[in-house]
Amino acid sequence: MANLLKEIEAQIAGAKTAAVKQNVGVIREVGDGVAKIEGLTDAMLNEMIDLGNGVTGLALNLDETEVGVVILGDYTQLKEGDEAHTTGKLLQVPVGKGLLGRVVNILGEPVDGKGPIKSDKTYPVEKIAPGIIRRRSVSQPVQTGIMPIDAMIPIGRGQRELIIGDRATGKTTVCIDTIISQARLNKAAEMAGDKEYRPLYCIYVAIGQKQSTIARVIAVLEEAGAMPYTVIVASPASESAANQYLVPFAGAAMGEWFMDNGMDALIVYDDLTKQAVAYRQVSLLLKRPSGREAFPGDVFYLHSRLLERAARVGEKYGNGSLTAMPIIETQSGDVSAYIPTNVISITDGQIFLETDLFYQGVRPAINVGISVSRVGSAAQLKAMKQVAGKLKGELAQFRELAAFAQFGSDLDAKTQAQIDRGKRIMEIFKQAQYNPIPVEIQVVVLWAVQNGYMDQVPVARVKEFQNKLTEYFTTRKNQLLAKIGREKALNDELKAELKAAADEFKQTWH
Amino acid sequence: MKITKRMKRNAKQLFRVCMVKGLLDESRVRQVVQHLVASGERNSPPTLAHFLRLLKLGTAQHTAVIESAIQLPADLRAAVQSGLAQRYGPGLAITFAQRPELIGGMRIQVGCDVYDGTVRAGLEALQRSF
Repeated sequence: MANLLKEIEAQIAGAKTAAVKQNVGVIREVGDGVAKIEGLTDAMLNEMIDLGNGVTGLALNLDETEVGVVILGDYTQLKEGDEAHTTGKLLQVPVGKGLLGRVVNILGEPVDGKGPIKSDKTYPVEKIAPGIIRRRSVSQPVQTGIMPIDAMIPIGRGQRELIIGDRATGKTTVCIDTIISQARLNKAAEMAGDKEYRPLYCIYVAIGQKQSTIARVIAVLEEAGAMPYTVIVASPASESAANQYLVPFAGAAMGEWFMDNGMDALIVYDDLTKQAVAYRQVSLLLKRPSGREAFPGDVFYLHSRLLERAARVGEKYGNGSLTAMPIIETQSGDVSAYIPTNVISITDGQIFLETDLFYQGVRPAINVGISVSRVGSAAQLKAMKQVAGKLKGELAQFRELAAFAQFGSDLDAKTQAQIDRGKRIMEIFKQAQYNPIPVEIQVVVLWAVQNGYMDQVPVARVKEFQNKLTEYFTTRKNQLLAKIGREKALNDELKAELKAAADEFKQTWH
Repeated sequence: MKITKRMKRNAKQLFRVCMVKGLLDESRVRQVVQHLVASGERNSPPTLAHFLRLLKLGTAQHTAVIESAIQLPADLRAAVQSGLAQRYGPGLAITFAQRPELIGGMRIQVGCDVYDGTVRAGLEALQRSF
């Protein structure tokens, strides 16, 4: 005890105190998640402001005599006349692998009740996107496990592919399927000890969604075993507009850590329409001038600066990538509205989901005609290119011919054959939700349909044929599947083996 | 009456007119106020209100409040005054105040800048760190 007292005395004797300079202001006005603070002459844009009572704000408007601050927390604790001071820090979130498997809020704090997050590194929420020098072309695929996407609208690592459609058309499902597919591939590579495979980690950003919807997404991912490779960043509808506007940036910061450290990550923004609405709310409260549809003038910049952060960086800079899948909800299929056109122009392609197709039973309800991927084909697997190269054209022809066939006129044999093939392709593109298909299976099925193995199968039984074929290959020809996966291209030898296997299966099919 | 951007701009121009070598000239301020009041224009009251706000903020920028738990000795006061004059220039209105709840040390506020070396601030920082 005597030693302890001496130690403390020595420390007190040696302690040096210095007055710290702080920049302070006084809250002049507070309400609706926004505060106006007089003073704070040294405040920086996007700087965190300590509002007292453990509440933090973010400086968004720097006026001559006051600072407009959005409050990240419970603003009901604040009152006019309270003192606020600058912190000298930008808004930061924890990053790293410790976040995998966790559900966090805008500040990176856990909301899943699984204890604190093990992370010793933080990233600023707002960060300048990688420049031209750091970037390289997209060359590696993201296997979504959704056949029409992998075959016709391929996505590459580092790409920004927009998922757009009306409400309840399966936009979130497409993204969840992609996350599940990545988890399965990561797990398979881990179990096989494949050092070549680059795991793709996923970040799902829920913006302004119902808590029940987020809980359902978590349950689906947990059930599919995808959570160990996924981070969920949530700002539900019950949170303030400021949180909903900032949460995609927090998710992007978490994804950037993977990219900067030579890893690959995929980020889903579900959805950016709600973020734009939240930003509109914040801007109107801050009394910023409004433009079209009352959105502020910089709503394009809001999305462009976010999506530009998705990139594939060169080998010199770690060879990592961040793929973005933003979601946009349209009203009655109107893609020419303000926010949809903005995001379409920013992204490298879009997957358009249609209500009509959804109710016709075409699920995923992807309209292949107007969906595009501008850079993904460079990343597509060669084997897939070989079997699906002409698919888009064939389907376009089919749609045109099918429209003519509706008039009931007699068709020549060639036209009839094209229509029949189209119907079968449409049938094999139907896929159950949360059930991504491995790329080798996709190659086999598409090869079979392209080589006429399904021509004799009635359209109503095509799905059954596909399922049996898949079962046959996964149980009896798994070595052939592994070979396709390894070779990544169909050479003559593989084609012969495929033909032999398909012939063998055809004999057993009734 | 709601204040418009134009009124704010006018108030700001008037405020600038009242500054001489970076300091507020009281006689000019009085002149401006008298002129605005005498003009009787409908825009005058809101312009005057904004002018007053700018005046308050401007005055605060040139006012130093020095708080301590006990009354400071004269030599220390002089040292603080000269130090502040060096840093913020002449024309600073300095007031000394006693606040026993600070326990010890000194807190100096000049406009938005606060230098807090009080025991109370230290204890609060310690509390926040736990």
